[in-house]
Amino acid sequence: MNLQQIYTALPALLKGSVLTIELTILSVVFGLFIGLFLALGRLSKNKILDKFCWIYIWLFRGTPLLMQIFFIYYALPLMVPALTLPQFPAALIALSLNSGAYLAEIIRAAIQSIDKGQMEASKALGMSYGQAMKRIIIPQSYRRLIPPVGNEFIMLLKDSALVSVIAMTELLRTTSQISNKTGNALIYIPSAILYLIMTTIFTYVFEKLERKYSVYE
Amino acid sequence: MIKLENVHKSFGSLEVLKNINLEVKQGEVVCVIGPSGSGKSTMLRSLNHLERITSGRIYIDGQLTDEREEGKDHLKVSQKRISEICTELGMVFQRFNLFPHMTVLQNVMEAPMTVKKVPYSEAEKTAIELLIKVGLEEKKDEFPSRLSGGQQQRVAIARALAMKPKIMLFDEPTSALDPELVGEVLEVMKALAREGMTMIVVTHEMGFAREVANRVVFMDKGEIIEEGTPDDVFLQPKHERTRSFLQKIL
Repeated sequence: MNLQQIYTALPALLKGSVLTIELTILSVVFGLFIGLFLALGRLSKNKILDKFCWIYIWLFRGTPLLMQIFFIYYALPLMVPALTLPQFPAALIALSLNSGAYLAEIIRAAIQSIDKGQMEASKALGMSYGQAMKRIIIPQSYRRLIPPVGNEFIMLLKDSALVSVIAMTELLRTTSQISNKTGNALIYIPSAILYLIMTTIFTYVFEKLERKYSVYE
Repeated sequence: MIKLENVHKSFGSLEVLKNINLEVKQGEVVCVIGPSGSGKSTMLRSLNHLERITSGRIYIDGQLTDEREEGKDHLKVSQKRISEICTELGMVFQRFNLFPHMTVLQNVMEAPMTVKKVPYSEAEKTAIELLIKVGLEEKKDEFPSRLSGGQQQRVAIARALAMKPKIMLFDEPTSALDPELVGEVLEVMKALAREGMTMIVVTHEMGFAREVANRVVFMDKGEIIEEGTPDDVFLQPKHERTRSFLQKIL
């Protein structure tokens, strides 16, 4: 392994990194929407909705992510041919559905940690449950959400390597392809450094966000 | 203005309100006193549905707002109706419950804008007038965490008044305050009473009750033991339980 080899491999590695970042950011964004819906469902008085959300979380936290990726890409089209998906959407859906389950519990815990007096004050002022959630409770949960969501984000960035099993050429798969082609496994070193750079940048971003949302404390 | 008829409330087998009958007329200031756990706060909180009564009837401003028996609604009260009732009742809490993520001004403007859809400029104008009234206009852009307890409670009073309520409910408004901060909150409440606001005040401030209340209600173990003018209750209590309570605290 010499610098020349790394230099030659770098464009491919960077391209893989971009795909890794794309997958991570999109999955966390979709996961947050899914998670918010599930969290509100778990907190709602509607028993059926609560049960449905509970089952969803139970299913997606209780089975391996790798299996979920295989299932969506290979098994789902066998059951419903219309759901034959290209690799990128299949990977994105698997990661989003999975992170949604984890984020749901994070969001639920953050909402439940807000002082009960806040909901009482909102109701006493005539606000509906929805208004109180939207204006008072959820905005206060942001700051408490940031550290665990940052954690989930970093985990997902690394877990996104699992989609290489359905031939998505993100950073890990790109690296192993180069390693196979050149017969030099040391290419994993610059690849690991790229992962570290990405996680470091996002750790910094989440720390910034946390500080920004702490102004009122 | 407010009427409670045969109100009962149980938490499981624990009866916290036993056959409460109380009427409050327009412009009256009623102070509710009694030992902790006597059901004072529960009674207050059942008026705006923060607690649901087990049975009985509640009238606000001449309208039946709650009628329940065995924990079931007789009167079908929609969430929208409850919300409307709440806008006629302003409530001030022991622990202030200001919205920590909003500035003082935003706290006061929030409910009129969200619930009553009052336009921004009008809500701001009202909010500033109210903050002047409670003496905190210069703090309008601060977050609640930067204020003292007394200041926070004054903001909470302004926030409740912003909904233009007909009745104000105070749930031990000075109990969480350092002694030197109690006075400033009581001053604001006295001013409100002088303006003719109908008020129900759950309090341990006997001085305030004596000075401001038209009527004092003594509660113990979920029952109204006696009620009357401050002089009657404080100087010639009829009931033994009232006497022993007053002896302990005065």
